[in-house]
Amino acid sequence: MFDTKIRVAAACAALALAGTYATAADVDYTKMTPQELAEYLIFEAKGYKFDAQVQTEGATAKDRLVQDELQKVCTETRNKPSPEQAAKISAAARESIKYPEGDIKLGDWKKGRELAWSGFGYRLDPNFDDHKKSAPGANCYNCHEFAGDRQGGTIGPSLRNYGKLRGTEQPVLKLAYGIIYNAHSMFPCTRMPRQGAKGLLTEAQILDVMAYLFDPESPVNKE
Amino acid sequence: MLRKLLVAVPLAAAMAGPASAGPSDDPAAVLQALIDSTSSYYLTQSEQNLMMMPDNPALWSLEEGEALFKTPRGPKNVSLEGCDFGKGPGVLEGAYVELPRYFKDTGKVMDLGNRLIHCMKTLQGFPADDPAVKEIHGSKSDHMKLQTYIAAQSNGMPWNPPMDHPLEKAMRDAGEVVFYRRSGPFDFNCAACHGEPGKRVRASVLPYAQDPKEWTKAISWPAFRVGQDNTRSSQHRLRECIWQMRYPPIVAGSDLSIALLSYWTELARGQPAIIPDMKR
Repeated sequence: MFDTKIRVAAACAALALAGTYATAADVDYTKMTPQELAEYLIFEAKGYKFDAQVQTEGATAKDRLVQDELQKVCTETRNKPSPEQAAKISAAARESIKYPEGDIKLGDWKKGRELAWSGFGYRLDPNFDDHKKSAPGANCYNCHEFAGDRQGGTIGPSLRNYGKLRGTEQPVLKLAYGIIYNAHSMFPCTRMPRQGAKGLLTEAQILDVMAYLFDPESPVNKE
Repeated sequence: MLRKLLVAVPLAAAMAGPASAGPSDDPAAVLQALIDSTSSYYLTQSEQNLMMMPDNPALWSLEEGEALFKTPRGPKNVSLEGCDFGKGPGVLEGAYVELPRYFKDTGKVMDLGNRLIHCMKTLQGFPADDPAVKEIHGSKSDHMKLQTYIAAQSNGMPWNPPMDHPLEKAMRDAGEVVFYRRSGPFDFNCAACHGEPGKRVRASVLPYAQDPKEWTKAISWPAFRVGQDNTRSSQHRLRECIWQMRYPPIVAGSDLSIALLSYWTELARGQPAIIPDMKR
């Protein structure tokens, strides 16, 4: 892997010296492994518009394609990490969680309901989500259903009666906070985004979403 | 109705037969035969669209595309009838279900969009920045009209992307890697939505990539997107998935996009194309 990266890099450097840039014709795709070719198509052959505007200051569009350790392991194992890998992933995920100071206090379930419903945020060109005009949502309904009033997706488990079934003791709340913050702590290589660890939701927003799940007055627990 | 029945009978025979089956002229019959042969919420999720198939607005794109295709155009004032889509100059029947494929004259694996651009430039002499060449989205674009006409000449025929050239295999295999590669702020890959049967994202039933009978409808483009009131292409579908995944915009026609299309076409191998289709 390392060796071939150098090979590709050397080929690119040679092309740069010759005053041309790498296109399909310059590099022999058939000499690369599928993984090498995929990386090449993404990062060298201009497969994505890396000059696209992004919402996060100081970040670039290209950053989004660079895999971190978790993404690499979950890609390589197609979301089925070995027991050793899984243990490492969940340990690192637990490490990443920053809990609120003191007891966990539920936020506003009405705000949480709208956050859970909103699919706005972080999308780029050709229809850029301007976070200055509207704050990003939590996308929960894409994959989960919460109550009968609005249809949710089925990629994740149903969260109906979440609080009613579990109660609101601190250990229960702490567990739920951890799952929303970084779900790999409990489910290594889950498809659920790392809402807290990746800075997608603030602590206050997570507590609002949790209120939607746990508050006895929330529609989630009213059925 | 009678016309429908007349089409349905030979089609049923054709679908049971070998891959040499000829095109059918009724996408609705192709879809119905699939629905009858399997159980899939994805195939049947929009009853309204199924009913609308005979009046599919993409049929206008198809008709306009035929006229455009046969009209001498561009600085060289020639029609596209001399364009080789892989089965010889002017041969359209079954060409689309064998794309993307390797083309010797360019040394590249190309999809329909790229091949059209190639012929517009070399055969018709259009400059690269001519609207005919560069406007690739929307029912009003020449591309969508031409693509719909050309692709419809493969309606009912089984997807059969050639894997004879090493580049075709390399692109397909790299496409598979990209399909499963997790990245972006949400850690998504294509399999996040298309890796399990019978799942929904909100109200939309998602096609499962490993079920060819379902997947053939998912990749049957051009199709009329009812929610967008436009005839859309494979490249447009790809662009929207990538956007929802929070990735940087994918470059239409890039080798990356071709690799993904090569893999997704492979996944539908053997199942009949439904073109033009209707989608939500």
